[in-house]
Amino acid sequence: MIDTTFGAALTLGQFTLGQFTLGQGDLPAPMSGITLYHYLFTASTMFVLGLIGFLTRRNLIVMFLSTELMFQAAGIALIAFGRFHMNQTGDAFVIFVLTVAAAEAALALALIVLLFRRKETLDGQAWASMKG
Amino acid sequence: MDTFLSPLLLYGACALGGAGVALALPKQKAAPFVFGAILAAAAFGLVMVLLGVASVRAMSGSGDASGGQGAAATARLVWDALPNYHFYIFSAIALGSALRVITHQRPIYSALWFILTIVSSCGLYLILQAEFMAFALVIVYGGAILITYLFVIMLATEAPTEESVEAMNVYDRVSREPVIATFAGFLVLAVLTTMLAGGAKRLELNPAFVATDAPLALMPARVEKVLREAGVMEEGERLARMPSASSRKGEPVDLRTSVAADGRPGGELRIVASDGKTVRVLPLAQWPEELRLSNTERVAMELIERNPASIEIAAVVLLMAMLGAVVLARKKVEMDEMAKAQAAARAREGGELSGGLGSAAAFVPPSVGGNT
Amino acid sequence: MTDFLPTLLTLASEPVAAQVGPVGFAALKEVSLSAPLAAWLIPGLPMLGAVLAVLMAIGGVKSKLPAWTTVLCLAGSFAVTLWLYLQMRDAGAAYTTVKLFDWISFDYLPGKAFVANFSLYIDQLTCLWMLFVTGLAACIALYASEYMSHDVGPGYCRFFFAFCLFVFSMACLVMGDNLLLLYLGWEGVGLCSYLLIGYFYAKPSAVAAAKKAFIINRIGDLGLALGIMLTFVHFGTIQFAELLPKVEQYVALATSGNLAAVPASVQWIAVLFTLAAFGKSAQLPLYVWLPDAMEGPTPVSALIHAATMVTAGVYLVARTMPLFQCGAVTVPPDAWVLPGLVVPALDIVVWGGALTALLAATIGMAQFDIKRIMAYSTVSQLGFMFVGVGLASSYAGAFHVFTHAFFKATLFLSCGAVMHGFGGQLDLRKLSGVMWMKGWLVVGLAMLVGCLNLAGFPFTAGFFSKDVILAEAFSNPHQRVVAWILLVTAGLTAYYTFRVFFRVFLGPKSFEPGDEAHGHNDAHGHDDRAHDGAGHGHGAKGEHGAKGEHGAKGEHGAGEKGAHGAHDQAFQPHAPGWAINLVLAVLAIGSLVAAYAYPTKWVKGLVEKSSAAAVDLTGSAAHAPATLLGMDPHEIMYYVSAGVGAVGILVAFFLHYLGRKTAATSRADAINLGALQRGAQHKWYVDEFYDATVRVPLKVLAHVLHFLDKVLVDGLVNLAGLLPRGLGMSLRPSQGGELHGYALAMACGIAVLALVALFSLV
Repeated sequence: MIDTTFGAALTLGQFTLGQFTLGQGDLPAPMSGITLYHYLFTASTMFVLGLIGFLTRRNLIVMFLSTELMFQAAGIALIAFGRFHMNQTGDAFVIFVLTVAAAEAALALALIVLLFRRKETLDGQAWASMKG
Repeated sequence: MDTFLSPLLLYGACALGGAGVALALPKQKAAPFVFGAILAAAAFGLVMVLLGVASVRAMSGSGDASGGQGAAATARLVWDALPNYHFYIFSAIALGSALRVITHQRPIYSALWFILTIVSSCGLYLILQAEFMAFALVIVYGGAILITYLFVIMLATEAPTEESVEAMNVYDRVSREPVIATFAGFLVLAVLTTMLAGGAKRLELNPAFVATDAPLALMPARVEKVLREAGVMEEGERLARMPSASSRKGEPVDLRTSVAADGRPGGELRIVASDGKTVRVLPLAQWPEELRLSNTERVAMELIERNPASIEIAAVVLLMAMLGAVVLARKKVEMDEMAKAQAAARAREGGELSGGLGSAAAFVPPSVGGNT
Repeated sequence: MTDFLPTLLTLASEPVAAQVGPVGFAALKEVSLSAPLAAWLIPGLPMLGAVLAVLMAIGGVKSKLPAWTTVLCLAGSFAVTLWLYLQMRDAGAAYTTVKLFDWISFDYLPGKAFVANFSLYIDQLTCLWMLFVTGLAACIALYASEYMSHDVGPGYCRFFFAFCLFVFSMACLVMGDNLLLLYLGWEGVGLCSYLLIGYFYAKPSAVAAAKKAFIINRIGDLGLALGIMLTFVHFGTIQFAELLPKVEQYVALATSGNLAAVPASVQWIAVLFTLAAFGKSAQLPLYVWLPDAMEGPTPVSALIHAATMVTAGVYLVARTMPLFQCGAVTVPPDAWVLPGLVVPALDIVVWGGALTALLAATIGMAQFDIKRIMAYSTVSQLGFMFVGVGLASSYAGAFHVFTHAFFKATLFLSCGAVMHGFGGQLDLRKLSGVMWMKGWLVVGLAMLVGCLNLAGFPFTAGFFSKDVILAEAFSNPHQRVVAWILLVTAGLTAYYTFRVFFRVFLGPKSFEPGDEAHGHNDAHGHDDRAHDGAGHGHGAKGEHGAKGEHGAKGEHGAGEKGAHGAHDQAFQPHAPGWAINLVLAVLAIGSLVAAYAYPTKWVKGLVEKSSAAAVDLTGSAAHAPATLLGMDPHEIMYYVSAGVGAVGILVAFFLHYLGRKTAATSRADAINLGALQRGAQHKWYVDEFYDATVRVPLKVLAHVLHFLDKVLVDGLVNLAGLLPRGLGMSLRPSQGGELHGYALAMACGIAVLALVALFSLV
């Protein structure tokens, strides 16, 4: 086993994906190789990409687009979990996530329009007057 | 190496991917996007291969790949796992598009790449047997939100002057602190993925392991119709209702679902014969295909049965958002002095497109940048 | 009556020691008065006077009313004192305590308490002291009513307020039942002295003199405070009634010759009290304030700096005589300088007194300001008193206090009358023949009586009291040097006293007005109104009119609205009014009558029936009486001191009266002693010495500390302010106002937290 002093990461050792297996019911076998972990990995990667985009891009619109990307990632994860537990709680939640994302996008874009009208630029760094 | 998914490899893949993304982000000088993208793709591919192999082992039960049959057995295992390719394709497209969203220098292209991301996510949802969600995603996101984004991009673009028609703004061209942001982000990713894997031991599997069709009990008319159309139920027969119920039309159907020890589902419908007394049992195996609930129906039952109040609240939220957006966008806005000066300068230099946004005092109706 | 003269002529034929026998505290019995609380009127009436003066100041009274209320209150206090004396006289060797209220009384340990109540301790010594204090205070208040009369208004009220407060404090001091009340009175008289010396607060020299007096008194007060604390620490009580019996055991040790066996904490009490007494009573080295205190109005000088406050030191020594008998400075046997030396406290007192007397006399011989000369003579006579008590003869000291009070007050008041009448002129080179001027006879006679007393002319009170001290000194074989010093000083005293008299009061009539001639000096408070007759009583009021020369407003009226400078030629001294003359007469007669106290042994009887009497002077190691010129000092002291005094008067006569044609010159001008004379004129440079050794180092220290304060202390405080500012300035760049910066910081924070969570989930 690998040295345990490096913390939980290594004491996990090698992990098996057995516990992540999605329930199949009486569906045909072909999908049985993809586990929950696959989807979660995709979702977290997309989430982190969205986070990076939010932090790095200066254009306000692209910033909010990144936040939408994060919503997407969350949605994937939710649906995957719903499938894992074989109920529709995740699906219902995604409906609400979509609702909120839509509302937020509407308001954010209205604000962006206002901000653009004031300064004629979409640069997020133009609004730095609260400098300490 | 025995272990294909040791956390060290995950960390390595995250580092590689981070380097790739950092390279791919727009920079002052020419960004080696391609190089960065390849790097990131390589990292992603590595992880996916690892996951794929690990899943193959999971499928076949662990540990016997090392045994006896050697190359042939391994090849068969891989061949068995190939149909999973849908996931890999959709996943690759989704992540690639996401990368392009955040790294493209023009916002309009970012939005378009985002649409592609949505579409691939939709694909992922389909694999997960959530068809309704997939279409809801496309309709709401792709059809509404992204269109709004495109409109705003059009509205909020500075009018290009004659000499800089194609010039990009500096704030689009240069990203802000890509290295630190990427580092922080991929640190989070590494931790997330490792912890997700570690938390697997704490996941409780749904003992039922099967999507129950219990809501069918609340849809007697549908059940009857499908059964009759499938020819399983004869004329004159009717469905048995719950024992304690009266014989009115709206009572739940006597539907019994069960789960076998190995997780296989079981279920029974009871049909009462025309003479009103004989009860025939229709086991799950004989149910027509159309009888099974679809995702739409499941989602609907979930929403209405379990979260009715949330629907109302969601409606209120949308209403508020709508009102808010209308109020906000109607506001008169005085432009900054500097911005006014810039607009005046542009107007002086000519270009029929540059006049519209210059006059600040009067109410400027939202318009495309330029004379209406 | 037939043996009156023989009694007089045999001067205390038995040594004081072998007499009646001091009673020792154990023999004093406690009695109670017929109306105990009436004794509280003695301090109470002056306090009432003070309150009335304050009220009148608030009410804006502009007449002489404060003076009359003060005189009435003080006279009432004197009357009560008389009653008290009559009560106590029949009781013999007794004391009584009268408590007014509990002031401080708390138990700090079971069985131990600190008690200091507002109560009076009255015995014969108290009565003696209070009689002359209140009597003199009443007389001098009457004198001051006229002397200060040009200052009516708030200043007048202020004067009498401080006056009454002074008498109250003196009463607390003398009559207090415990050391703390004595300390209260001690501080109170210091305060009132400051207020009264600095009465002319617009004059910088007066203010400086007041500060000097207060500060130097403070040095002495330190000794008193430490002594009281030490007393409490060792004996557990500071009430006289309980304290003095406890001291007896140590006194027995001391008088049997075993002074070194007394515990150090008891020995030091007396030494500290010595410091206090020297400060208050202006002895070496703390006498420098008294001459400068002459900046105050003359009534103040007379009452406070001649008769009452400066005798507080003598009173302290007398009251705590048992403590002084066992007090000493003991050098530890293993010290590397003077090992094993034991200096009794009484010796310190004696030597301090003697040296001071000599020093002050030499300075007085060379001064020209007559009030200063009187001040130095006060210092000198106080030295005599201290020698008296230092020889363990409280009787000698107390008697001299008693007589000195009367004649010194007379002398000061006469000088004050001269000053008042001649516009502030006090230089004896500028005044001459005052006694022969119209209306000045009473002043001159009073001055003569005072001078005779001071010089020790036979059959005057001063003669008897001084000779008791001299006899005591010569009788003590250990103090021969002191005795000779005192004798020489007596001669010098006679000389300079009559120098003043012959120069100022006799001889050709001539005068120069002083700086305070009418209207010139604001401090004197003259204004046009005075000339109109309201204040001075010119003309219309008739006080001066009765004397005749100012009857018409003519002389003053000629220039009253115009330039007062033209007055110099027309300046006429105005002779004192009825109040001043009356008081002078009373005091002069009083000082003559006081002589009668000697043969009747009145004072002696009082002192020895109190705790002040030294216990068991005889002791086995007591002195065999020494001899002077082969004979018993007590018998021949008379003649010796009379002779010395006569020599002094004759020298003064020769130098300052004979052949003097003008005010400014006399035969004494022919004598030139060079550096000695200059030194004496400059007061032996003592003030300059103090300035160099004390004031300058303190000033340097102050500057150093100021610098340290600015740099270190302020620096520290500023640092406390700078630190948050610095911290803030260094943290400021993180608030860039940019959304991305904040978001990045949040993301990094999340990353760190995630790492921490990962590694802590082991």
